[in-house]
Amino acid sequence: METIAKKQEGICWKGRKLKDLLGESERLYEETGCYYGLEKLKLHEDDPLKLELLFSRLLAATVAGREATRMISGSPLVREVAELATALYTAEGDCVLQSTGIIIHIPLMGQVIKYMISQNYEEVEGINEGDIFTSNDNAIAGMHPPDVYDICPIFWQGKLIAWAATVIMEAELGAISPGCMPSAATERFVDGLRFSAEKTGVNDEFLPSVIRRIRFSTRLPDLFILDRKGALGANVKVREEIKEVAQEFGVEYFLEGAREIIEMERRAQLNRVRTRTVPGKLHSPVAFENYMTRTFVPPHHAIDQVTLVPMDFFIKPDGKYFLDLDGAGPWGWHPSNTTPSSMTGAMCLALTQTIAYTGSANHGTILCADMNLPYDTYVNPSSPNIATQNLFSFPINGGSVWIGLQSRAFFSRGFVEECMVGSPGTALYSMAGKDHMGNDFGFLMTDVAGTHGSGAFAIRDGFSSYAIWQPVTDMGNCEIWELILPLIWTGRNLLPDGCGWGKYRSGFAIVGNWMIYKTPLLVFDCTPVVMADKIYPNTGTHGGYPAVGPFYKLVTNANTDELIKEMKPLAHGMGYPGKGDIEENIKGKFALETSRGVTMKDVSKHGDWIQLSYGSQGGGFGDPIKRDVKLIKRDLDNRLITIDACRKIHCAEANYDRTRDEWIIDDKKTEQLRKEKIRARLKKGIPVKEWYKNRRKDILQKNMPDLIKTMYNGSLEKGKRWPGEFRAFWGLPENFTF
Amino acid sequence: MTTYPKETIKLLIDGNLPWDQTKGIVSDHKDEDRFDKYVEVLQEQVSWKDKILLRLSDDLFIVEKGNDRLVKCRCGHEYGDYRENWKLNALIHVRETKKELDELYPYPSQPDPKMCEVREFCCPGCGTQLEVETVPFGYPLVFDFLPDLDTFYREWLGKPLKTSKEFKDLTYDVVKKWAEK
Repeated sequence: METIAKKQEGICWKGRKLKDLLGESERLYEETGCYYGLEKLKLHEDDPLKLELLFSRLLAATVAGREATRMISGSPLVREVAELATALYTAEGDCVLQSTGIIIHIPLMGQVIKYMISQNYEEVEGINEGDIFTSNDNAIAGMHPPDVYDICPIFWQGKLIAWAATVIMEAELGAISPGCMPSAATERFVDGLRFSAEKTGVNDEFLPSVIRRIRFSTRLPDLFILDRKGALGANVKVREEIKEVAQEFGVEYFLEGAREIIEMERRAQLNRVRTRTVPGKLHSPVAFENYMTRTFVPPHHAIDQVTLVPMDFFIKPDGKYFLDLDGAGPWGWHPSNTTPSSMTGAMCLALTQTIAYTGSANHGTILCADMNLPYDTYVNPSSPNIATQNLFSFPINGGSVWIGLQSRAFFSRGFVEECMVGSPGTALYSMAGKDHMGNDFGFLMTDVAGTHGSGAFAIRDGFSSYAIWQPVTDMGNCEIWELILPLIWTGRNLLPDGCGWGKYRSGFAIVGNWMIYKTPLLVFDCTPVVMADKIYPNTGTHGGYPAVGPFYKLVTNANTDELIKEMKPLAHGMGYPGKGDIEENIKGKFALETSRGVTMKDVSKHGDWIQLSYGSQGGGFGDPIKRDVKLIKRDLDNRLITIDACRKIHCAEANYDRTRDEWIIDDKKTEQLRKEKIRARLKKGIPVKEWYKNRRKDILQKNMPDLIKTMYNGSLEKGKRWPGEFRAFWGLPENFTF
Repeated sequence: MTTYPKETIKLLIDGNLPWDQTKGIVSDHKDEDRFDKYVEVLQEQVSWKDKILLRLSDDLFIVEKGNDRLVKCRCGHEYGDYRENWKLNALIHVRETKKELDELYPYPSQPDPKMCEVREFCCPGCGTQLEVETVPFGYPLVFDFLPDLDTFYREWLGKPLKTSKEFKDLTYDVVKKWAEK
């Protein structure tokens, strides 16, 4: 009898089973609307400072864990760009808090824990102190396979009381093409090395079989293995701190305190919304362009597809957010669909950067956001076999537009300092071939993380060189990148006239320039991330425009050796006034690309060149001719804009004073130019009613490219509410399709 | 309770507050009386007397006029009921030529006018560019923001408006007539 009783006892505190704890948590939330049924916050009411102290201790543990990892890892993605984060979860898998870093993963690592609970790991696989579980399987949870989660249980007196988890982005995953986000991945079977919530270690050590698998499955196994050890180091650091906390505060206090921290954040988020925004409905469409005929895929997947996702964003009377993506078009065999899990990550990312930025974002924040993600569409594919390399596509394209929508509500409420226009930019590239040491290699070049410009703010210009999904990162040092890549950095500068114009402009994106170095063979893949090329994201607000998108230039058979021998200038970037020196100085075969998710066809070698403008497509704010001339002068003096743009876009006149090396604004002429512009607008603009009739004719006659017709047909077929709205707007028959 | 003088709010919304003070406001607890002061400042900045209920964009406001709630430009031009997309009554220009797009995007990456409309909306009263849409060709006009004004005033501010209006998008009623003619 005693043996049976022991067998039935769960591994959690007081002998509870994980499934029972999770079930109880969900039931209590359902019944009360409060996390774990906590209608009263007893610990907080009794001694708020003590609870705050607990919070600080736990937060410090995750931050310390993350920093320790950066010292262990060998990957520039971790050491330089800081693509990682560490978090603490309750036994049921609810995030209590997390470190700085790639905050998009707050709920997602918890979803893996919940998956393990649902699959009864407690009894089937076994969960013991010192175990390591690894997951990068997006059929379970996650943003994309390169984000690898290492998850460790935390035991106290033999009982599971929490989990520590660390996410690290890998630069190489052994997928169909080198790097970690190949454009050619159309099914999950070519996504690369995968761990499906797998027990990969015991007694704080990874299993030899796992290490062996990594060595035989990736192109840069040493980096991958070191990252696993770094993640383990972070988790152990958190675990040991939690044990000290349990000793000091008492384990019951820790368990109850963690729950109260989540419930407090849930209430705080609702309050933030009700005190900073205005309820209502906001809307914007988002389009995704996947050009699969321009990469190397099986013939039946070589389909170009533009997909529409209309986005309704409701701010509800109770302070909850609701994102309704009814009308989302079909999913496809490409790497850039989105899943409910990644949509949760997207919401988490957007919230933590814009409204829930107090450092206490957790499961409670996410409880305040609901979504309608129609099944069998781009945002919720019905096949479990989709490639998942770029589940980021909606989070970045759509999430960015969503941030602009939320900003409208901040603006109306008067919190102008919180308004930021979206910036979905970023262009990455993957490379493969031989490195400068002669080894086979593959790598995703991510010095881009954090290098495109942000959207404008309602009271000032956007940040140059910034990425919202990785707010604590920078580009890293060129010298460190050069240690492991066959590239020499010859220039990093801002793209003149590349901003989103407005009364306040967006930030500028970086242009990177590289000479290919000591390799006989190198190929490039334009990584799929933001799938906007011909259809610009709707990010300009209040009269501003979206900024310029990215472009890639590759020069093969370049005359570099000759130029070096003759001591002639090389390529260093976009010089003022926006004229690239690559065309001027280098001779060779030029290739140009503006789409992402496609392959550069030419093969390069030592002495060839690559130039990439990362692009921002961040929005400007307000009418560009209302821009303060002082700001225009500053941009001219800093060589960020040309006099041509100054005149045409801002309708401002300025003269360059060579002796003072500065621009002098001609106020009188500026006033005249602006008056002329207003007259021109009033003359050129036609009543919307007239435009409507013309455009309606185009729609009835189906005068548009086939890709767009197919796009609309996809949404008309899949949607329930949106098709009716589309047909009603254009006065179309009930069964109208293209 | 955090609160700031009206003059500070004025400087903030006009983009004239020094950054160190702006940063302080960003980092501090939010001021609960912000909306009231915001509207007060805005009301002082316009030449007309209609009561501002909500600022919709940089130059557009929802105002109370008798029993109606209208969208009104800073210049005084009125656009109709706030539940109809104000863009229906604006002037529009779509950038369609290479020359027009080169002006904004002097690089190889540009929107393709056959696939993407760059729609500029300006006020017939003052010529201010009020919004720019970059949307797939043929997408309906974007109704950026339809606020739930009654819930806002009644439940969030605790100051119900003197009349109530159904929270409903009325845009379709207008375009239906356009399509019929």
